[in-house]
Amino acid sequence: MSNEVIRREEFGDVAVLHILTTSVDTNSAVAIEATATATTMRPITVLDFANVAFINSAGISALLKFVVSSRKAGNKLFAMNVSPHHQKIFKMVEMSRFMPTIEERDLAAYR
Amino acid sequence: MERVLVNIPSNPIFERIVRASADELGQAIGLPPERVEDLKLAVSEAVNNAIDHGNRREAAKLVEVIFALDADKLEVRIRDEGEGTDRVDFSRKIVEEQNLDSGLHRGFGMYLISALVDDYEISSSQHGTVMTLRLYRKESSHE
Repeated sequence: MSNEVIRREEFGDVAVLHILTTSVDTNSAVAIEATATATTMRPITVLDFANVAFINSAGISALLKFVVSSRKAGNKLFAMNVSPHHQKIFKMVEMSRFMPTIEERDLAAYR
Repeated sequence: MERVLVNIPSNPIFERIVRASADELGQAIGLPPERVEDLKLAVSEAVNNAIDHGNRREAAKLVEVIFALDADKLEVRIRDEGEGTDRVDFSRKIVEEQNLDSGLHRGFGMYLISALVDDYEISSSQHGTVMTLRLYRKESSHE
């Protein structure tokens, strides 16, 4: 069984990081943070939440590593396929200011 | 009143069991899907807090969770076996630009609890901390 928590896809200036774990929480945070640290960001990096059913504050803290990495590199970070509940939570903690939502169709121009 | 009792060791992996219980109970009493998600997140935060800050992840210490259902509400009581705390900060926490590089990315949990449940209370002594969360069956003015 694979322990991979994020699968990377690249095209042009875009990297899409598909989060594979359904639960972005204390238990998956270490692996997510490690991926964020090790990942080479692209000018446009997109976190794909299509498989994510749950995010808590420990998960948000882990996701913020991607915000830090992208800002350091001067890149743009987006989120896509975010559920309405998670959009609400991101808005509550103002995560959405640093990782705005993008629609999958908007990426088509880069393919 | 009906009660469901879940005891877990102080290991974060078992928080998922409590969360799954919250999911089932929230659905069973007919909370709307969005409120079930609120319940799961609030319970997750309270249990993780009990594991990390109450019991300091000492495996021998348990976190006791009691779900109590009555005609009006679902009440969730989360109790740790820690040494208690003088103060719990429920103030609003947001991602702040000046803290990004410093790595100070924690502290959202208590704020999320306070914002997601209908009401809550906390009591603490040298024998541990008890957090009580309530969600009412009828839709209140809560958003």
